[in-house]
Amino acid sequence: MGSVTAIFTAENHIHPAAEAILSESIAQGWSDLTKLHHPSRRLAQLLSEARTSFATSLRVPSETIHFLGESTLGFHLGINGFPKDGDLFIPSTSRQEVFAAIAGRPAKELPVDINGRWDLPDGQREDLLVLQSVNLETGAIAPNVATFPGRVFVDATADPLSRLPENWSATLWDSTSWQGPRGLGVFALRDHANWKNPLPHIDQRVVPGGVNPALVIASAIALEASTADRRASIINIEEFNSYIRSYLATEIGDVDIASPVNGAAHLLSFSFLYVQAEQIVNGMEQRGFAIDSGSACISANIEASHVLAAMGRLTHGNIRIHLYPSTTRDDVEGLLKNLKDLVLEQRKSL
Amino acid sequence: MKIVDALGKLCPQPIIDLAHQVKISHSGEIIHLLSDDPATWADLQAWSRMTGHRSRMIEPTRFEIEL
Repeated sequence: MGSVTAIFTAENHIHPAAEAILSESIAQGWSDLTKLHHPSRRLAQLLSEARTSFATSLRVPSETIHFLGESTLGFHLGINGFPKDGDLFIPSTSRQEVFAAIAGRPAKELPVDINGRWDLPDGQREDLLVLQSVNLETGAIAPNVATFPGRVFVDATADPLSRLPENWSATLWDSTSWQGPRGLGVFALRDHANWKNPLPHIDQRVVPGGVNPALVIASAIALEASTADRRASIINIEEFNSYIRSYLATEIGDVDIASPVNGAAHLLSFSFLYVQAEQIVNGMEQRGFAIDSGSACISANIEASHVLAAMGRLTHGNIRIHLYPSTTRDDVEGLLKNLKDLVLEQRKSL
Repeated sequence: MKIVDALGKLCPQPIIDLAHQVKISHSGEIIHLLSDDPATWADLQAWSRMTGHRSRMIEPTRFEIEL
């Protein structure tokens, strides 16, 4: 197996700026925040600075921000913390973690069209709408929900730069989405008055605590750095996105591109007809390219992407790629040339 | 009517078997695809959209394709 030189998977290396600060933060972050001695106060100050940095980057008030050691716990907090007396609306392309968090509670699933778009339901004040600001697989962007009268929980785990609706009640982000360290979620709660902690708790804290402060500090640095990188590279990424689309259609063919044209440009999902995704993923890894797939055939244990199925897209031969600010033209050219070779090789028997 | 028996085969094989049959068939012909792979119906609908053929589910493991 060759070494991977180009990463197009949803997870990438931690941002170099954060990596540099991580060990220093671990050295400074050993103390107990609840104590009054000097190292604790110093750590509290660093954390407060990190919180301010998150608030600026994520464009939410700093007092709404809470840190989670397990980011998927945020789905439970954001869904089950609000009163359950109204309807619960969930687009059918939501993350599996959302379906897991509702735990059998009746929900109104919102169907999506072929571009992953869903219609805003007629809601009441006590209803809860769970939306993904950007779909993790396809990059489809949520519609404007400003007129929804109920509460809105935003899953922003796919993209820290996505715009939040004005009427958001709670929002969840994941540190890995900005090349921050793994093992950190950021949960913002604005509608505190109507929220009750669904977890066992002994005080007024929204989250259980226990987060490693070093991760918080390093993640804030990663977010600042990657936001600057993203802003500087947005034109490149958009160009790569349209180049990939046109190459797939003209040079390879029989491809179903699930990502809508007006979606987030750094996420692309497409499926090749008559092709087994597992062979493509393995073949690409041998050629130095790390990519993801949403196809069932990738493993006997994994179901096909419910997102592709809900959109009516081809579920076999699926490839998902993530374009980073560091992605180069050569990476993209290499990706496409090798994909073409592997796809045409598999289709030879047709 | 032609029958493509892809029972027991995993995706994307049922759709590949279907494509082989389509290649040697003519416009207007009817093909029945037998498949118990859970992804087949979703993939058959996407395939129909991409290739311009019509398909419907007759039974959970039996699908009709009109060329």
